[in-house]
Amino acid sequence: MSPSRFDELIHAPTRLSIVSLLAAVEWADFRFIRDEVHLSDSALSKQLTTLEEAGYVEIRKAFVGKRPRTSARLSRAGRAAFDLHVEALQEIVGRSGATIRPS
Amino acid sequence: MTGHPQPEEAASALAGIRRQQEKVIDAVLVPRWYWSAVGTAMVAIGAAADSRRTVVLAVVIPVAVVAIVAMTGAMIFGAYRGAQVGSELLGERGALSIVLFVWLVVGLTLGIGFGLRAAGAPWPATIATAIGGAALAYGGPWLMRRLRAVMLGNRAGNRR
Repeated sequence: MSPSRFDELIHAPTRLSIVSLLAAVEWADFRFIRDEVHLSDSALSKQLTTLEEAGYVEIRKAFVGKRPRTSARLSRAGRAAFDLHVEALQEIVGRSGATIRPS
Repeated sequence: MTGHPQPEEAASALAGIRRQQEKVIDAVLVPRWYWSAVGTAMVAIGAAADSRRTVVLAVVIPVAVVAIVAMTGAMIFGAYRGAQVGSELLGERGALSIVLFVWLVVGLTLGIGFGLRAAGAPWPATIATAIGGAALAYGGPWLMRRLRAVMLGNRAGNRR
């Protein structure tokens, strides 16, 4: 039996974009994520906090010179949850016999 | 939203994940200009070495080396792009491709340089670095296409 697990927290569209992005990188700057997913600073901050509280994201704050630099990465738990969520989505699609249109 | 999505929504979410990850992978790949810039800096080093003029050697080589190190450091540590590629995504195949490419270019450049010098050809370092630089300028983008394919294959949902 497949260990897939649909994850309500990840599936919310904005968070799904953020987690998809973070799953493809080791870490990413706050500004990079904001620009890639087209969010305001406050909206991204809120979503990252939600993901951090769930244990899916680790936030790192540092200073480069005098400027604060915030970066984020998927935690081990976040990566595992995302993988299982993708598998759950694939199962849902697979069971229906539908196909994913090429993007 | 509660409950599992309908198949259409699940397919749409998967397509969205795919698009987002392709976009990010494209954003973190080393840009085409980097390869040409490093190739040009290599040729500058070769030409300076062949000139044998102290002033040229003292100015051109340090500047070119600093430029190469700075650009390469920015690419490796992600300072230029704001994100760093995950090692899991790159995988052994990706890492091996990078190492082989670097060794190929270095080996080609040094081999041609020493061969030309032994044969008494004029401007051996310039010719060797021009060939090595051209290999970088053309091979670099090819390597990036290969790494892109590897990373797309290793992303979530494709790993097995």
